[in-house]
Amino acid sequence: MTTFGASLRYEFRMQVRKRSVWIVPALTLVLFVLIGGSLLRDLFDPGERPLDPRTGVVGLAVQLHALLAIGFGCLLADRLVRDDRLGVAPILDATPASPAARLLGKYLGAAAATAVPIAVAYFGFAAAYAIDTRQPVALAWALAAFTVVIVPGLLLVAAFALAVPMIMPAPLFRVLFVGYWLWGNIVSPEMMPTLARTLFHPLGGYPLDALFGFHGIDGEDTWAGPVTGATFNVLRPEPTPVLAWLSIALLLLVSAAALAGGHTLRARRLR
Amino acid sequence: MRIEISGLTKTYRGGVHALDGLDLDIPTGMFGLLGANGAGKTTLMRILAGIVRPSAGRVVVGGHDMASSAGRTAVQRELGYLPQDLGVYPDLTARQFLDYVALLKGMDDRPVRRRRVGELLEVVALTEYADRRLRGFSGGMRQRVGIAQALLADPRLLIVDEPTAGLDPEERIRFRTLLSQFAGRRTVLLSTHIVDDIGHTCREAAVLARGRLIFRGTVEELTRRAEGRVWSVVTDGPAPSEGTVVSALPQDDGMRYRVVARDAPSAQARPLDPSLEDGYLAVAADQS
Repeated sequence: MTTFGASLRYEFRMQVRKRSVWIVPALTLVLFVLIGGSLLRDLFDPGERPLDPRTGVVGLAVQLHALLAIGFGCLLADRLVRDDRLGVAPILDATPASPAARLLGKYLGAAAATAVPIAVAYFGFAAAYAIDTRQPVALAWALAAFTVVIVPGLLLVAAFALAVPMIMPAPLFRVLFVGYWLWGNIVSPEMMPTLARTLFHPLGGYPLDALFGFHGIDGEDTWAGPVTGATFNVLRPEPTPVLAWLSIALLLLVSAAALAGGHTLRARRLR
Repeated sequence: MRIEISGLTKTYRGGVHALDGLDLDIPTGMFGLLGANGAGKTTLMRILAGIVRPSAGRVVVGGHDMASSAGRTAVQRELGYLPQDLGVYPDLTARQFLDYVALLKGMDDRPVRRRRVGELLEVVALTEYADRRLRGFSGGMRQRVGIAQALLADPRLLIVDEPTAGLDPEERIRFRTLLSQFAGRRTVLLSTHIVDDIGHTCREAAVLARGRLIFRGTVEELTRRAEGRVWSVVTDGPAPSEGTVVSALPQDDGMRYRVVARDAPSAQARPLDPSLEDGYLAVAADQS
């Protein structure tokens, strides 16, 4: 097995066994429903739910992604720095294994493990919706939305969650990340400068708009493109399928850059 | 694997000089490294393990120049390393942790790897606990896991930093014997504060102080450096102020002190035969 494979396998195994990886998203969902998370309820109400299964499961993807990515980022914040904290780093660094391959394995393994409860929740709700509405095609849309909307966003969050605690304490990163997530995704671009609705939007505004034709549950919202009077409109061209794929590529590129930064910082500390 | 070190300097950020132009040759076999805290032993070992880069100087291990990435990787393929302040992943079992490290060491063949992990768990007497999570292991048990991981790939160079810290006396003796048996035609670099461990395992040793070499020779030569400088003093008064007090043993008529000093600390002082520890203290005292 390669260094990458070994690191991926064991990082996945260690992370998926952590109780908090399961408890945090479960509690978030329970709280969300308790405070009136409408779509999770409405999906199973024949009078309220969208008639189109695509709109239903893509809307579900947006809500769960926006909500559960917060805990996802916080749970990953100690993954890279903990090797030093635990004192395992010298053993791993003294092996002939490539540090870059180890980091990539750690990144994907830990991120995949932390995403398992999100996938379970999302596909669980989607499957229940498909059964309730007798529309199995909803599952195909769910798979597509998970792949092109949720996964790129989570990969971006994971890269920063691993890399940024190299330059600041993990608890501080968690506070700043929650702040960023709310600012970047909830605050309207007209109110203050944000990355919402840009090509760099981790909630996937361009794929939602151009690949899924999603404009909110009621069909009245827009998720990408220029906003009158907002800053950063240069990053908000009119959505097209090409730009949707470009947006996904940009998210992956920024993730790679963040990881490379973390890798470089760690290597410099050894000099 | 012969280790040749010349002009080795390591200065950390903030201007702390851990190593200061160190020259040292380490032959095949067991080799001891002694020195006070901050002498530079751990930095030297970390450089030899390829996890810290020197500020200046040259290190060649088994013909591989550690200045190049290829050289470091070649050495790491032959290396077993047990760091000071060893850490483990608390979420993994002992077997899983060893399997993970073995994979990173390039032991790709699964049956071979599993057999080797099993053998080493037996060697460090952890077979019974192999499938328990490391979270519940005592310090001594974790240290034994550390010893096992260092031996995984049958290394030609074994670097062990304070390996017997946290082990009980029986475990310590067992590990010392294991190291001696393991050495054979390999190179084992043993750094410790427990001088006795060096005396029982190494033919040659070096002493570092403030990042410099202050002694390099056989263990017997190190012992002889205290000849004529070890004294027994029995007194019911204060401890001798001259020299270094090695031990203090309560007696009926006062306290019996063992002292390393150039001259007799008192008129009643009796000369004693030196031990290795006395030799180390004599060398250290000459530098201070």
